[in-house]
Amino acid sequence: MDKLLAARLYAVAVRPYLAGALFALHVVEDRSVPTMAVDAYWRCYVSPSFVSRTPLEELAGVWVHEVSHLLRDHHERGAQYAREHGEQGPGQRLRQNVAADFEINDDIYGDGLPKPAGAVLPAMLGLPDGLLMEEYLRRFSMAGRTPRLAWLDCGSGADGHARPWELGPEGAHGLSRQQRDAVRFRVAEAITGRPGDAPEGWRRWADEAFHPPQPWRQLLGAALRAAVGAPGPGEDHSYRRPSRRSAGVPGVVLPSLRRMPPRVCVVIDTSGSVSDAELGGALLEVAAISRAVGGRRDLVSVISCDAAAGVAVPLCRAENLELIGGGGTDLRSGFARALRSRPRPDVIVALTDGQTPWPSEQPSCRTVVGLFPRPARTVNEEDPDYVPGAPPAWARVVPIG
Amino acid sequence: MTSTTVPSMPAPVPLPAGRPQLSLAENLLTLLRTTTTEPRPDEQLEALTLAVAADLPVLLWGEPGIGKTAALTQLATSLDLPLTTVIASVHEPTDFSGLPIVGEDPAANGVPMAPPQWAVELARAGRGLLFLDELSTATPAVQAALLRVVLERKVGALQLPPGVRIVAAANPRASAADGWELSPPLANRFVHLYWVHDRDVVVRGLGGVWPRAELPRLDPAGLPDAVAFARRAVCGFLNARPTLIHRLPTTETRRGGAWPSPRSWEAAMTLLAFGTAASVSRDVLATLVRGAVGDGPGLELLAHIDRMELPDPDSLLADPASAELPERGDLRQATLEAVVAAVGARPERERWEAGWAVLVRAWETGAPDLLVAPAKALAALRRDGWEVPETVERLAAVVGLARRAEDSVARTAAAAGAKSAAGGRR
Repeated sequence: MDKLLAARLYAVAVRPYLAGALFALHVVEDRSVPTMAVDAYWRCYVSPSFVSRTPLEELAGVWVHEVSHLLRDHHERGAQYAREHGEQGPGQRLRQNVAADFEINDDIYGDGLPKPAGAVLPAMLGLPDGLLMEEYLRRFSMAGRTPRLAWLDCGSGADGHARPWELGPEGAHGLSRQQRDAVRFRVAEAITGRPGDAPEGWRRWADEAFHPPQPWRQLLGAALRAAVGAPGPGEDHSYRRPSRRSAGVPGVVLPSLRRMPPRVCVVIDTSGSVSDAELGGALLEVAAISRAVGGRRDLVSVISCDAAAGVAVPLCRAENLELIGGGGTDLRSGFARALRSRPRPDVIVALTDGQTPWPSEQPSCRTVVGLFPRPARTVNEEDPDYVPGAPPAWARVVPIG
Repeated sequence: MTSTTVPSMPAPVPLPAGRPQLSLAENLLTLLRTTTTEPRPDEQLEALTLAVAADLPVLLWGEPGIGKTAALTQLATSLDLPLTTVIASVHEPTDFSGLPIVGEDPAANGVPMAPPQWAVELARAGRGLLFLDELSTATPAVQAALLRVVLERKVGALQLPPGVRIVAAANPRASAADGWELSPPLANRFVHLYWVHDRDVVVRGLGGVWPRAELPRLDPAGLPDAVAFARRAVCGFLNARPTLIHRLPTTETRRGGAWPSPRSWEAAMTLLAFGTAASVSRDVLATLVRGAVGDGPGLELLAHIDRMELPDPDSLLADPASAELPERGDLRQATLEAVVAAVGARPERERWEAGWAVLVRAWETGAPDLLVAPAKALAALRRDGWEVPETVERLAAVVGLARRAEDSVARTAAAAGAKSAAGGRR
């Protein structure tokens, strides 16, 4: 027991931001556990013989590993994956545990924390590092591999399937859902509060733990809908013509519902830094969304823009739309051309990687910016001091991809 | 469409004379609709009931067909309130802001804004549950008109009586393909609850037994304490985190959801008071608070409440021998650190010795590794001439534990250094 607790101190010393979570675990000694395992209620089941035969620093690694299962909510995500994909049974349990271990093991060790013997890594199955549990689950099957991995068991905390030795929700010293959330939240705060100390994987977790990223298609759709739905374009009530219901209620003035199909102009950044695949995907998406909000295909036009803007091409004639350009970017010319076109667009959608100067003034129509992700570096060889500005506050910005 | 051979049916039973087929269908439907209920704890329903009791507008988010309406019907029955359902998306703004009626001499008398029939009936009944369905598919103009209904309970010139409670429902945008975004001002007026179905409840309900949640009951004796607690919690928290008092959602992901503002903090305080007076579980309270001010601020408030409930360091120092320390490791460590900080704030010899006594007490009742950091900090507070109390010798095991961990860290670091040095030479 002392060795186990000394190992916890070790883990706290090398990963101070996990201290709250490590100390919140309640230790249960149990001989039927193969090694160390956690359940969803933050109890940690430990086999005494495993502790006595494992070196202290490796035990510290196991502590961090087990608490990571809980922090990353693997039991909940595992149960959800099983529900969605209808996969059950012991083989599936093992597969989920392995996938969860892959997600954890590729980034928690090193930097003072040695990797325990027998830790499974994505590379063992020829998979890349840095994916999420669900992505690993989609990519491998257990066929033929079971003998080597079958001993692996991190408890229901890793995959959501109950084990015989676990105390269950009614047992003593369990944490309620709110308490678990609170512990996870405090760890996330500890990581974001001192970003320098934690590795990339943990920082990403802390950013997303309580604000899971949403699929960009839905976000872009929502932004576009909101933009075309705002007063002015789109469908809204209007007193310009009386409602047909007015006939039934004499003496009452009723507004009528009028649909004004929105005109959407898509300004596309065709500079060399944006790939064709990215552009194609985003463009199709914009067209689909604007159809869904009631726009007709001929009301969507496209301007390709690098340092100079091309002509606005209506999308109905753009089956074989050629995106011209490839040099540097100046989206300002694209905006100017979009606003010059007649009839004027109701919404401008700019698809760009953000490495561009922006118009200094808010354009006279609503703006949605679809931003392709780019690493923060990007040094311009000619002008080392050049820092691309962030999209302006008047645009609704949706990160794409 | 697949075609299968129709199994030979038994000969139809001859109908009794004078009994048309439709009334048989009625009987069958009656049988199908006869269900019973069983008591069953249901956190979502508990949270919903509490928010409705607290007279805060509730917004239920849930996929279409998940049983939001059924839950509302049940809630209305159990609260004994008549239910008025208004599908927001098929109405026009004037149905909520009032229909302008041109009377005689509008310049002198003005144009009255007449309320629609449902509102008049609701006002006449004096109480009721107003259910605004499909809020997210209502046009922006309708949403704007609803602001007043939800916040001021006014439909045109008609004031809804205080006995009316408001619940709305919306589809999350993932499933609302043709929906409008909920505007942040409207979103801020609601307590957001996310409605999910429970597999067991659905299967058992279709089998004929629906759950009946025990409604939270307010404890009449505990009301003043509940209010004092809620005020202390929210004010103390906002004093410590003033930046969270008002924060408009900036990112696309958080638009249309709960966000912190003075209005929603007031709602959170009301919910805390109601939850405390009804002694609901922490999970229900968490659902409600997060639904009012958003996930991040809500969780921070709850963490603040957790810390508020830790034992007071000074009373622990006053009577270390019978100190009750929290069971949970992280809370226990936080308590011990608070004790050490209290000693450090007013370093006197008796308090310093009492601090050691608290640590010994902690060592007797829980895991020893929690004591390492507080013990080090307390030792550092020692002044000249202060003798270490004898009882502290019992903490020797803790020191050993700490040393063991430190040695191992140093060993690993040295090994790693040697390895990388060797790697560098190669």
